[in-house]
Amino acid sequence: MSKGTNDLVDILVAKLKRRQLVGSSAVAQATLKLLIVVISKNNWSKANDLLNLVRSVGQRLIEANPTELAIGNIVRRVLHVIREEFRDAEASSKSDDHSEFQTVPLTTSSSMYNLLSETGSDDKEYTHASHNLRSDIIQEVRDIRIELDTIYENIKNQATNHIHSNEIIMTIGRSRTVEEFLKMASSKRKFHVLVAETAPSYLGQQMALELSKAGIEATVIPDSAVFAVMSRVNKVILGTHAVLANGGLVAISGTHMMAAAAKHHSIPVVVCTGLYKLSPLYPHDEDSFNVVMNPDAVLGFEEGDLMEKVTVTNPYYDYVSPEFVNLFITNQGGHPPSYLYRLIVENYDPNDHTFDPLA
Amino acid sequence: MPPKEKVESTEQVLQAVILADSFDERFQPITLETARCLLPLCNVPLISYTFEFLAVAGVQEVFVFCCSHSDKVKAFVKKYEKSSNMKINTIVSQELMSVGDAMRELDAKQLIDTDFILVTGDVVSNMKLDQVLEEHRARRQADKSAIMTMVLKKASPQHRSRSVGDGSLFVLDQGSKECLHYQPVKAFKSTREDRRMTMNMEIFDKHPEIQLRNDLIDCQVDICSVEVPALFTENFDYQDIRADFVHGILTSDLLGKTIHFHEVSDVYAARVRSTQMYDAVSKDIISRWTFPMVPDSNLQVGDCYEYRRGLVYKEKSVVLSRTCVVEEKVVIGANTQIDEMAVLSNCVIGKNCVIGANVKIDNAYIWDNVVIKDNCVVQHSIIANDAVLEQGVTINKGCLISFKVTVGANTTVPAYSRLTALAEGEDDDSDAELISDPAVVGATGRGRSFTEAEGSDDEDEVEDPKNKQVSMLAFDMSELMLSAKEQEDSASDFESEASDLEEDLISPEEELDREVAATLDRAFQDGHDVDIAVLELNTLRMATFSNFKEMRKRVIPGVLKHIDPVAKPGSGKTAKEILNRWGSLVGKMIHDEEDQLDGAYILQRACATLYQDVAQAQRVFAPALRYFYDEDILEEDAILEWYHSEKSQQGTDIEKKLREVAAPMIQHLEQSDSEESDDEDDEEDEDSE
Repeated sequence: MSKGTNDLVDILVAKLKRRQLVGSSAVAQATLKLLIVVISKNNWSKANDLLNLVRSVGQRLIEANPTELAIGNIVRRVLHVIREEFRDAEASSKSDDHSEFQTVPLTTSSSMYNLLSETGSDDKEYTHASHNLRSDIIQEVRDIRIELDTIYENIKNQATNHIHSNEIIMTIGRSRTVEEFLKMASSKRKFHVLVAETAPSYLGQQMALELSKAGIEATVIPDSAVFAVMSRVNKVILGTHAVLANGGLVAISGTHMMAAAAKHHSIPVVVCTGLYKLSPLYPHDEDSFNVVMNPDAVLGFEEGDLMEKVTVTNPYYDYVSPEFVNLFITNQGGHPPSYLYRLIVENYDPNDHTFDPLA
Repeated sequence: MPPKEKVESTEQVLQAVILADSFDERFQPITLETARCLLPLCNVPLISYTFEFLAVAGVQEVFVFCCSHSDKVKAFVKKYEKSSNMKINTIVSQELMSVGDAMRELDAKQLIDTDFILVTGDVVSNMKLDQVLEEHRARRQADKSAIMTMVLKKASPQHRSRSVGDGSLFVLDQGSKECLHYQPVKAFKSTREDRRMTMNMEIFDKHPEIQLRNDLIDCQVDICSVEVPALFTENFDYQDIRADFVHGILTSDLLGKTIHFHEVSDVYAARVRSTQMYDAVSKDIISRWTFPMVPDSNLQVGDCYEYRRGLVYKEKSVVLSRTCVVEEKVVIGANTQIDEMAVLSNCVIGKNCVIGANVKIDNAYIWDNVVIKDNCVVQHSIIANDAVLEQGVTINKGCLISFKVTVGANTTVPAYSRLTALAEGEDDDSDAELISDPAVVGATGRGRSFTEAEGSDDEDEVEDPKNKQVSMLAFDMSELMLSAKEQEDSASDFESEASDLEEDLISPEEELDREVAATLDRAFQDGHDVDIAVLELNTLRMATFSNFKEMRKRVIPGVLKHIDPVAKPGSGKTAKEILNRWGSLVGKMIHDEEDQLDGAYILQRACATLYQDVAQAQRVFAPALRYFYDEDILEEDAILEWYHSEKSQQGTDIEKKLREVAAPMIQHLEQSDSEESDDEDDEEDEDSE
C-alpha cells in the first residue's frame, strides 16, 4: 500500500478507536471515501491483489471499532462490486475471444442455479490481468456513494404509504431516517408522535424537539410509560444501528422493550433503515455487537461511596430479535424480515463474510 | 480527507509537555528496574493513556521529560510515535530532581512558543480539552496575567479515586473562575503547621464570594502559558507545581499573576500517583468509567480484547480450562493459560502468564510472563514481570513483588512486603551478587525484602511515615487506627502522637461523646465512688476544653441509660436504685439556676430519646424528676420555669407526654408555693392555665 493511503487509513483507524467518529452513517461515508482512495491510488493488476488490499484495509477498520457494523457492510459492498466487475470483464473478454455461444456466467452466486454448483474455487477466476477496470470499478463504487447520499430521499418517499391520517405513532431514540420519514409524512398527513425519552442518553427528547419544530404534534413520554400507552398506538416506527442477517436489530437501548410491548398489543413494528446497515453477520449471543458505555450517565462518578459497592453496566444498544419486527423499509422498498436473506445475497458475496486474506 | 484539512486550518500547533518522571519512590522496588510511566495499567503502559488523552485533545507536538530509565522511555516513545499522528520528542536529563527542574530546563531550551498543556506521565482521562483551551485563550486575550488554568474534577471525600494523603484545599471564586489560594493537605497532620492554613485577608476584600473546596480531585492537568517556565526560572527554589508554584504565585504580591481553574464533572480524570491509586484507576478502567479508554478499545496496536458480561475482558488467545472460574472484573492478556479450578476475581493478568490449578487470585495485578503454580493464593498485590510463585505460596495483601523474583514452595509472604531480585546497593549493573533471603522467599526462592534507603527523602525532613503508608496498595485505614490505639495504651504521655491522631480523625464532639460514655461505663462496671467518677469527668472536661453544659448533655443520658425501666426492685437497675447510687453525679454538673433549667430540658429530652415507648420513658422520667427535686439538684423554681416554658411544650410527642407526667408534681409545688405567699396566687393561677 502506498504511504499516502496508509496514513489515511491510520487516521481513520485512530478516529474510530477514539470514538471520535461514531454513527452508522458517518462511518459508512468515511469508509467509502477511504476505499475510493485506496482503489484509485494503489497499484494492482490482478483482481486478487485488489481484493486482498481492500480486505486488509477493511480488517483494520473493523478491528478499530468492531461494533460499527456499517464499516464491514461498506467494505463488503465494495468487494462485491469489484468481483462483479471482474466477472463482467472476464465474460466480455471471453465472449470476444472465443465463441459467441458460450454462456455468460451468472453475475452473482445468488441464483438457485449457482447454489448447487461448487463455489469454493470462485476466487481463482479473478486472477486475470485486466484493462480499464480501474475506472469501471471506481465508477461502480461512486454509485454506492450516490446511493448513500440519496438514502434518506428514497426512504422518506415511502412515508405516505405507511402513515395515515390521525394515526398515533410511537418511536424511540433519535434516528435521522425516522426523523426524515416522519417529516415527509407530515407534509401530507396529520398525525401524532409519541417519543420515549430514551434514558440515559435522552435522545428521544431531542427527537421530539426536532419533530415539533417541523410542526408535528410530538409528546415525550418516560420510558417506563411505553407499555402503558402502547394500546393507543397505531404503529411503532423505529430506527436502528444495524440489521443483522437473521433480521434482528442492534438498536438503541429501550428498543427491545418497546418492540416487545408492541408485540403484546399486536401493534405493527416498522423499521426504517438504509441498506448499508444490513450486515451479513449473525448474532451468536445477545451481547455481540453491543457497546457498554461509561456508567456515569446512570450513576454519577461523584457518588464515591456507592460507586465501589455497585457494578453499573450501561449498554448503549439492545438486541431485538426478528420476530418483533413486521416490516423493514429500506431505500429499495419495504421487506418483511424473512426476505432479508435475499437482500444479503444480492449485495454481498458469501466469501466476504470474514476478511481473512484470500489464498 | 477532512482530518488533514482540519490540522492545517488551526493556526497554531498545540503543544503538550509530559513529565514522565514522578520524582518519588512510591512504586519501589518495581521502579528500580523500569520507569514509572511504563508500568502496565490494565496491560497497557501507563504513558499510553496520557498520549491517548492528549491525542484526543488534538495535541500535535509532545515533549516528554524523563530522567530515570530514560532509555526505556525513549525506546517506547519511538515505537509509539509510529502508530500515532503526533510528533513526540523525548528530552532526557539526568539532573532532573523535580517538576521545577523540568520546567527550568524547558525554559532554557526555549522549546515552547505558545500556550501548552502540562501533564504528568500518569494521567488517565477521557476529558476533551477543547472547551478548557478555549476558555483559557479567551481569558488570556482579556487579561495577560492569567497564566495558568488548572483542571479539577469533583468527587466525594471518600472516593476511591482520590489519592489518600495527596489532598489539597482550593480557595476558589466561582464567578471569575479564579483560584485564590492553594494549600496541600496531608492525611495525617502531625505538626501544628499541617493543621493550619494562612490566607491573605485581602482575598476577602476583593472577592465577595469565595469557596473553600476539599472535594476536588487534582489530576494535574494544567493549561500553562509561556510565562510559566520562565517563572520557574525566576524562582529557582520552586520544586512542586502545586505546593510551591501555585501556592507561591498566589501568595506573592509582587508577581500579580492569576491562576484559574476549570471544574469538570461528567468526565473521568485521575492520576496514578501511588500504588493505592494504581489499584483505584485499574478498577475504574475495568468498570468503564474511562470509556472509550477501556481494554476492549485496544489502545495498544495488536491487542484484541473482547468484552464479556460481568466486566470480563479476554484476549482471543487465552486458554481457559473447563473448570476454572472467572468471576467479574477480570482482564486476561494474550496467550495466558488458566488451569483447572482456578478462581479469578477483580484482577488483571498480563500476557503469557501461566496460572496453575486451584489458584485463587483476588484483587491482584499480575503482569506479563508470570508463573503461578498450583494452590497459590494471591490477594490485593502487584506481581511484576517474570516473577514465579512456586506451589502453595500465599501472598497477603499489599505486596509488591518485583521483576524476576521467585517465591519458593509453601511460603507465606506477609502483608505489605516488598520483594526485589536486585542485589543490594546497586541499581542497574548487576556485578554484586544477589543474596536471597530464605526467610522471605523460601528455601528455593530468589529475591530479598526491599527496604527503602534511609535519608533519600532529605527534602521533606519530617515527613510523617503514616502519610506514606496510606498511599500504599490495599492499605486499610482501620489497621492504622488499631496500631495507634496500641500506642496510646502503652504510652503514658497524654500528648502522645496517637491521641493527636485520634483527634484528627473524629470531631471533638464525637470524641467527647465517646470518652464520657467510656468513663461512665467504667464507673458503673467497676463500681467507682461518685467522687472518683466526678474527678474523671472533670479532668476530661478540662482536657477537651468543654464546659459543664456540654458535660451535662452527655452525663445525664449516660446515667439514665443504665436504668432498666422494667427491672424489678432489688435488681439494682430500677430508676430509684440507679439514681440513689449515681444521681449525685448529675448534681456535680449543675451549679446555678440556669444550669438547673438546662438540666431539666436535658432530662426531658434524654428520657424521650432513650426510650421509644412512652410508658417506659415515663417510668424513668417521673422518679428522676422526683429524685432531683428531693436532692435539691433541680430546685422548685427551675422545675416550674421548665414546666411553663415554651421550649418544654414543643418537641416530639414523647417529650410532650413527659411534661404531662410532671403535672401532678407541679401542682403540688404550686400549691405549697401559694400557701407560702398568697399575693402571688393570682399570677400563678394564670400561669397554670
